[in-house]
Amino acid sequence: MARAAIPDCRHWQVTRDNDNILWLYLDRQGESVNALGREVLEEFDALITLAERDTPLGLAILSGKSGGFIYGADVREFDGFDDADSVKAEISRVHDMFDRLEALPCPTVAAIRGYCLGGGLELALACDYRIAQDTPDTKFGFPETQLGIYPGFGGSARSIARVGGLKAMELMLTARNINARAALGIGLVDEVINRHGALNWAARRAILKSRHSRPPRLTARMTSQWPLRPLLARQMRKQTASRVRPEHYPAPFSLIENWRRIGANRKRLQQVEIDTVSRLMVTPAADGLRRVFRLMERLKAEGRKSDFSARRVHVVGAGVMGGDIAAWCVLKGMEVSLQDQSQEQIGRALKNAEKLLRRKLRDPQRVKSAMARLRPDVEGTRVAFADVVIEAIVENAQAKQELFRRMEPKLQRHTVLATNTSAIPLETLAEALEKPTRLVGLHFFNPVAKMPLVEVVGGQHSSPDMMKKAASFCSQIDRFPLPVRSSPGFLVNRVLAPYMMKALQIMQEGTPAEAIDRAAELFGMPMGPVELADTVGLDVCLMVTEVLGDEQTKDSEEARFIRSHVDQGRLGKKSGSGLYHWKDGKPVKEPRHTVGHDFRILAERLVHAYTEECRAALEEGIVGDEELLDAGMVFGTGFAPFRGGPMYYLAHQHEQFEVESPAFVQSNDHQTASTGSTS
Amino acid sequence: MTSLTRVAVVGGARIPFCRSNTAYAQLSNLDMLSDTLQRLVDKYDLGGRKVDEVLAGAVTKHSKDWNLAREAVLSTSLSPLTPATTLQMACGTSLQGALLAAGRIASGQIDCAIAAGTDTTSDIPLVLRERLKKRLLQMNRAKGLKGRLGAFRGLRLRELAPQAPANAEPRTGLSMGEHCERMAREWSISRQEQDQLALESHHNAASAYDEGFFDEQVIPFHDVSRDNNIRPDSSLEKLATLKPAFDQETGTLTAGNSTPLTDGSAAVLLVSEAYAEKHDLPVQAWLTAGRSSAVDHVHDEGLLMAPTVAVAELLQRQSLALQDFDFYEIHEAFAAQTLCTLKAWENEAYCRDRLGLDGALGAIDRDRMNVKGGSLAFGHPFAATGARVMGNLGELLERKGKGRGLLSVCTAGGMGVAAILERD
Repeated sequence: MARAAIPDCRHWQVTRDNDNILWLYLDRQGESVNALGREVLEEFDALITLAERDTPLGLAILSGKSGGFIYGADVREFDGFDDADSVKAEISRVHDMFDRLEALPCPTVAAIRGYCLGGGLELALACDYRIAQDTPDTKFGFPETQLGIYPGFGGSARSIARVGGLKAMELMLTARNINARAALGIGLVDEVINRHGALNWAARRAILKSRHSRPPRLTARMTSQWPLRPLLARQMRKQTASRVRPEHYPAPFSLIENWRRIGANRKRLQQVEIDTVSRLMVTPAADGLRRVFRLMERLKAEGRKSDFSARRVHVVGAGVMGGDIAAWCVLKGMEVSLQDQSQEQIGRALKNAEKLLRRKLRDPQRVKSAMARLRPDVEGTRVAFADVVIEAIVENAQAKQELFRRMEPKLQRHTVLATNTSAIPLETLAEALEKPTRLVGLHFFNPVAKMPLVEVVGGQHSSPDMMKKAASFCSQIDRFPLPVRSSPGFLVNRVLAPYMMKALQIMQEGTPAEAIDRAAELFGMPMGPVELADTVGLDVCLMVTEVLGDEQTKDSEEARFIRSHVDQGRLGKKSGSGLYHWKDGKPVKEPRHTVGHDFRILAERLVHAYTEECRAALEEGIVGDEELLDAGMVFGTGFAPFRGGPMYYLAHQHEQFEVESPAFVQSNDHQTASTGSTS
Repeated sequence: MTSLTRVAVVGGARIPFCRSNTAYAQLSNLDMLSDTLQRLVDKYDLGGRKVDEVLAGAVTKHSKDWNLAREAVLSTSLSPLTPATTLQMACGTSLQGALLAAGRIASGQIDCAIAAGTDTTSDIPLVLRERLKKRLLQMNRAKGLKGRLGAFRGLRLRELAPQAPANAEPRTGLSMGEHCERMAREWSISRQEQDQLALESHHNAASAYDEGFFDEQVIPFHDVSRDNNIRPDSSLEKLATLKPAFDQETGTLTAGNSTPLTDGSAAVLLVSEAYAEKHDLPVQAWLTAGRSSAVDHVHDEGLLMAPTVAVAELLQRQSLALQDFDFYEIHEAFAAQTLCTLKAWENEAYCRDRLGLDGALGAIDRDRMNVKGGSLAFGHPFAATGARVMGNLGELLERKGKGRGLLSVCTAGGMGVAAILERD
């Protein structure tokens, strides 16, 4: 039999063995992990053509990288498009390619170890059979909705056909990753081999036996049929709407609507997928979310500038912040010693830590092992062994200086000394040190377990080396490091303060809190400024204004307004009442208070205060550049991610979604239902 | 071959040891051994390289693990061209592996080797009872339905229950603890002495961890960063409250002064002097001598007394006195066993009559023994202990800069293995 020559490939290692099996190993050149970039796909096209002509016994697709299968399509390449038609042309080509892969007469197998996400999973789904190796880093998922689209290489259609409507929609809507065993459980993969097995031999076995996926179970198939489908669709829409708004994030709503309309008709789903995803791709929301993805990569890169590796962390101060920081570090594998004069305080912190670990780790054995890494240390003897020391005691400069003076002689040479202060200038604290170069700020946000950002604060003395080490420590504990210059409020609090002050000002003009918060939420903030002030605690807000402290702010009406609340013990969420009345951890909002207010103008005023302060902070060089600023505000305060960050918003305002008049907003249900076919 | 090359102990790596059915309950010997080897590989940058010989084993293992060492190698980043031997010598497994490898390095047959051991009593092999197994095999051989059914004539329900591996010494039917209880009585080892030794072991281990002594050796694994058997807050009072574990009435061995069943794995890298130089590997110490010996426990010698013999013979051949060492790493299977060994060396009659020496070997300076803790604290995953002890002694000598150390491990079946490490 004459065999066609294997085409020259840069990114695919292609071999044909003596069983006449065609082996395709993806090893994308110039990148550490595999993504389906344009060149990769073009070569793949040629390889499919080869397989069509050559009739091999089977075709196996694997990764040539040690670090994972395929992470998805190349997000960077999406940026080049600004009209839906050219996206459509591009996407259609990939659909065609995967359809041809699926139509090959020979058995096709994807053998997967490591991350198999988005486009990678879509490619795998176009094969006859999927084998996964059960290792901790093997994960399956569809992250697309986080990028403002949904799976567009045939993934929505194929996953629904493969595992049934309910499970497929769950995967796509939650963007959650599942491991090999779970993937086998729902039928996303057909076979799992253990960590000591060999993928290529499992793939060969599958090809020789001509294995195919089994159709999904009847119960799974039924979820895509009447009457279950419309019921489930409604439920999904409700759940999604409780998290995001359709005018901000149209993608999940479009996905649900398309499925509701079409159900399990694969060809039809695929067609609609091409149309919808191409349209979604060029929405400002998708553009903004892609930027947020880049911002995240940028912050991760900040954490890779040093090869510092911490193992032991010493936290001084077992209050809420200190305790939570300690618990988080333990969760992330550190050995932590927690120092406090009060044994009682430490006891409370240990209890909270155990609660966190139970919630996150579940398995009692793992909780026990993790708790063994957290040690009370009243005497502070462990400071001498720590790689990172974090001070989180009362905000009192003298007490902190005194502590640093006592600790400094005991520190190892490489140890990073950090303060969690949000109020005291680093320079003041550094005065107490023989070697002020080693002091940096690590400003965690409350609650530590939920807030992904840490401001890495550099004072005048802080050495660049220590800053990099501190940033890499943040990465080690899965937090994004944002390098900022020491100045009152650093970046996040500094920007939030005038924004909240503006809200209070508007409140005093007579606009109810409910309307103000609604306006901010309509703009895309996760929480309105008034509710935020109550959540943070009015006492904390007051302290921040005092730190930021030009005289004018301190004496302003707004400051007096907060002070009067604080004096009456109305601190916000924690005391049960503040600017709102709180019940069961939620503010009591009066719906009629939002009626008759112009949200658009309210939002404009609030956001103006916010972005003006961002501009000022940037001008003063609090952060290095616009990207870092946007990253800080998105990950530090949840600034509307679909807007790509405050500076990006300023530059692209005219293209982005505008807050509309109240009439539009009130008919919430009607509007949710209608977004499916528009965008 | 006339001249011998020196054998370098480059260093050890291990995972924290855990009491059985705790943190590693879901792991197999293959999992732990692979990951331990990988840690050693990472520590000394051996990825992609061929090691001339890997010798590793486990005491409690499934029959499917017949090629355990080789399979573990294939699950690491070592070159797949690395050959591996699976071996067993009860609790002496990995130390014996190290000595076998050292001999081949010394004689120039190979340049580098890894000795390792792993054990788990969480993932034990449950097997069919002998009687049922015979029936099944008989059925397999039989022809016709009648013959096949005949194989099950008289089948009893209890034959169907699977069987766990016996923990008893095959020829005596006594457990390790019961044997050691007899030794304790023979050598009049008091409960208090035993508890004292256990306490020191725990305290030494805990403070060694606290001062970072194990940072390079023990690499965190599955959320565990130190051996979970160590009790830094133990006290003589607490130990005294424990009930005897093997002889309820007059016994002195308790759960506090005996090692618990433990899961874990350890490995050590050995190379020739030239190889160390060529690949810029650190030399912690030289492995200068080793020996294994046995006692006749079937005729009622103390089951765990063999280290007394191995050490005596080793010292004679090396012309050294028992006091010529800076460190003693004596494996503590039971506090009583270690104390019996020490007492025997001090006993003139025993040394003369049993060891064939002119007089007593004498006492050792107890401040030099198990200074960073012993098996009573770390726990004792049988096959892993030898590699742990060797890695530990290597680290001790490296930190001291110069000196000599003695190590010994007792094993089931009345055997003992001993070795000498030196650093100059």
